[in-house]
Amino acid sequence: MIKAAGAVLILLAGTLIGFLQAARFAKRPRQLRELIHGLQRLETEIGYGYTPLPEAMRRTGAHMAEPAASIFRLTADRLESADAPAFEACWEETLAGCWPGTAMRKTELATLRRLGSTLGMSDREDQLKHLRLAQQQMQAEEDGARDDQARYEKLSRSLGILIAALVVILMV
Amino acid sequence: MLKLISHLLPPELYERLRRLPDSVHAGLEEIRIREERPLEIVSQGRSGFLTEDGGWSSNPQQAFRPSGELCRKLLGRLTGHSLYAMEEELRKGYITVTGGHRVGLAGRTVLERGDVKAIRDIGGFNIRIAREAVGAADKLAQQLADPARRSIHSTLLIGPPRMGKTTMLRDLARIVSSGKWPDPAMAGWPGRRVAIVDERSEIAASVKGVPSFDVGPRTDVMDACPKAEGMMMMLRSMSPEVIMADEIGRAEDAAAVREAAHSGVAVVATAHASSLEEARGRPILRELLHDGAFSRCVILGRSRNGFEARVVALQHAAPTAREPTGARAPEGAGT
Repeated sequence: MIKAAGAVLILLAGTLIGFLQAARFAKRPRQLRELIHGLQRLETEIGYGYTPLPEAMRRTGAHMAEPAASIFRLTADRLESADAPAFEACWEETLAGCWPGTAMRKTELATLRRLGSTLGMSDREDQLKHLRLAQQQMQAEEDGARDDQARYEKLSRSLGILIAALVVILMV
Repeated sequence: MLKLISHLLPPELYERLRRLPDSVHAGLEEIRIREERPLEIVSQGRSGFLTEDGGWSSNPQQAFRPSGELCRKLLGRLTGHSLYAMEEELRKGYITVTGGHRVGLAGRTVLERGDVKAIRDIGGFNIRIAREAVGAADKLAQQLADPARRSIHSTLLIGPPRMGKTTMLRDLARIVSSGKWPDPAMAGWPGRRVAIVDERSEIAASVKGVPSFDVGPRTDVMDACPKAEGMMMMLRSMSPEVIMADEIGRAEDAAAVREAAHSGVAVVATAHASSLEEARGRPILRELLHDGAFSRCVILGRSRNGFEARVVALQHAAPTAREPTGARAPEGAGT
């Protein structure tokens, strides 16, 4: 009886892990797309509106879905606080705080960090170049993420159940 | 005084500066921040250094040296973390911030076809604290009054930097515009329409088009506008009786001053020069002085007792087209 209950639990857990893993594969391209949209919006704010960075970040964040929105919103909050450090430090802090809550990986984190070291620190043309470069890199990541999704989403779902089943069989 | 600029300074720097002696605070004029070098403070015309424990010393060895990190923070605050939004200011080398304070910047310049395009690697800041000195020009105004026109003479204010040229100009604008002449003999004089062309946002320190200093009730301010163009625009559109501008010195400024003088508008302007002779040594100013565009020249300086102003009547002023009161040049003369 207890054995049967245990087997059911293992099966359930395995399935759950599989589904969660699959969800990450599905979420990553969506979040990347969202971030690219954010960077595009930032590009407009900087390039055509000359909007100062805190305001530009706030506006960008206001039109996006979570979790990408909070990256921009929290950075704006930090920039506007009384003892705000330089932009790069605010950006790093926000990224470190938000990243675990996203489905994105280290490569896009590195891209955003690189962007953070240049945002606000140079003239308009240079800012636009850096923003476009970051968008291209994110785009490449998104394409890769879509391939991964097509390849591994279903696979990891079934793999979860199958491994759980294997463990149950070995136990019995 | 420090409170006026507390919003600009990173908290750790503000705390350090707050511990300075009261006497230094009261006369605070400039805070000069140079990365990794002694932090200089100018108060009441004297220069000194901020020490590690917030004291004031003339010995640079004991001075507090701001770190690169602190300078980045300061720059972030001054520019709203957005250098790209300040391109025009960076080309000129200074930023005017809320309250009319001006921050001069030094660093490595970026050139484009030989012209300065921007400053990067900014490591030097000079925070000049602007303060409104209402009544500063009371004495001067009496000497510059023109009884024939019941207004102010066309005047050129000259002096080296930090001698109160802009302060005087601002206060003259207030007096002329409000008609509150400090002398009872001038009590009945009407207030005049004053147009200020404030290229560097220092005279009126406008924030979003509204002056933060008292420049009088009949004063219009064209903010951040090139002087020559601004003076012509004001002449055409705002029918001023007095035009004021800061630091004239280019050929097109001179043309605009002449245009104004010939339409019967008094011009009050400032220029960098330490004496009348030196002003005459600069071609543009020499021409203007010679043409009779100005009928008075004020030489500002600083002595032991404080600021000093010496008024010189420019006798050789050739008879210009400047008409007596009332008979202004025909409409559209400025176009």
